[in-house]
Amino acid sequence: MHGRLACRLVKEITTGEKGQLQPFNDELLNEVTKECSENFLVLQSLIRKMQDEGLDFQTTRNADHYGALINHLSLIRNKRCLMAYVYNRAEIIQNLVWKVGLRLFELPEEIQEKLSHSEKEYFNRHSAALESYMSKMDLDLNVDMVPPKDPYIKVRVLDDVGEGIVVSDKAANFARHSMHFLKRTDAEPYISRGLMEELTG
Amino acid sequence: MAEDLGDGSTAEMDEYETLMSTTDVELLKTAWRNEKAAPEILQFQALLVKRAREQIQLVEETVEEFEGSGMDPLTVSLYQMDLDRAQFLLRSYLRVRLQKVTANSLSCVLQIEKYMFYIWKNDNLRNRLSEPEKIFVKRCINDMEKHIEETVLSKLPDNYQSARRQSIISEEDDMVPEPQLDTFVACKSSKNFVSIRLVDSERPLEMERHDVSFVLYKVIEDKIGVEIDLV
Repeated sequence: MHGRLACRLVKEITTGEKGQLQPFNDELLNEVTKECSENFLVLQSLIRKMQDEGLDFQTTRNADHYGALINHLSLIRNKRCLMAYVYNRAEIIQNLVWKVGLRLFELPEEIQEKLSHSEKEYFNRHSAALESYMSKMDLDLNVDMVPPKDPYIKVRVLDDVGEGIVVSDKAANFARHSMHFLKRTDAEPYISRGLMEELTG
Repeated sequence: MAEDLGDGSTAEMDEYETLMSTTDVELLKTAWRNEKAAPEILQFQALLVKRAREQIQLVEETVEEFEGSGMDPLTVSLYQMDLDRAQFLLRSYLRVRLQKVTANSLSCVLQIEKYMFYIWKNDNLRNRLSEPEKIFVKRCINDMEKHIEETVLSKLPDNYQSARRQSIISEEDDMVPEPQLDTFVACKSSKNFVSIRLVDSERPLEMERHDVSFVLYKVIEDKIGVEIDLV
């Protein structure tokens, strides 16, 4: 059945939670590209058959013409599904660059495992592009994501951040579960990586 | 008498508001709101951004000076708060051009990032970008093309390997995501009297200052930032 596999591939994007990645489905993707190649072979052989029969492919409307057309259309549909799959995942990756971190190792391992090799490269290249834009503007754009109410916020450390981190010229011991009163801009990178949480109220 | 007073104060208020709306912070806020609400990329406000950055730097220096001179900490923190807000506004303005967050969902509609192919092939849109943004878009396109090429296109038959066209027989780019411009936006007139020609009605829509309307984006497209601001 034409196009059924591709449909499954696209469904992986839509059934998952929004903005969440499923593991990259290499197997299914390859099956769809295989179907594309099969479509193409049939398409070519039908065209050749018509040429052998001395028919003009542009004007003849016989069974072979429509057979070829169907293969062409299902190939295009498969291509669109493949592109949609990769493109939508790439958008989620762009989002990760913004929200989580510019370095691949800053991503939680569960997410890293779900990326394909090419996607990891794409992550690196995209964050490099963003970084070079930010350095040209001489301004970090991935901090300060929510409008500031107060320049200082209260945070709790959730993980072993390690010692020796210097925020605004002051070194502090960020032991797990300790609470601190920090500048919002200093704390934001840690909050987005899930290492600290903001305490409200 | 009461009427007189009322009139007088509105006129004064108007004057005050006109004056207030011309400060750079207000202008930046307006540009930011417009950019946020528009379905497509708008002209980069180069001069405004430059001025805002200069002012931010000035305040930064002032705050540092205050901190050094042992000024009252409360005063310093008020300056600091004002500075933070201005900085947020600037960052958010630059950011929103690259990436738009839709209000109704968790997902992001990426502006430059999403429509990079579309913006790049359209001269008019491309010229709305700042120079660094242009470089950024170009890199984004290359990266995306490389990624798609590697993952999908290289595995497809010869005639179907374009990232922009479905197949070799497509006459135009038919695989480029385009922004949905045929949409409604909420807008507010910033001038005393604005007349808008609507698509489906003979009578123009007349708006007074601060009137809010819900209209098709394309009928007010060229008025944004001049007579009309988005909300």
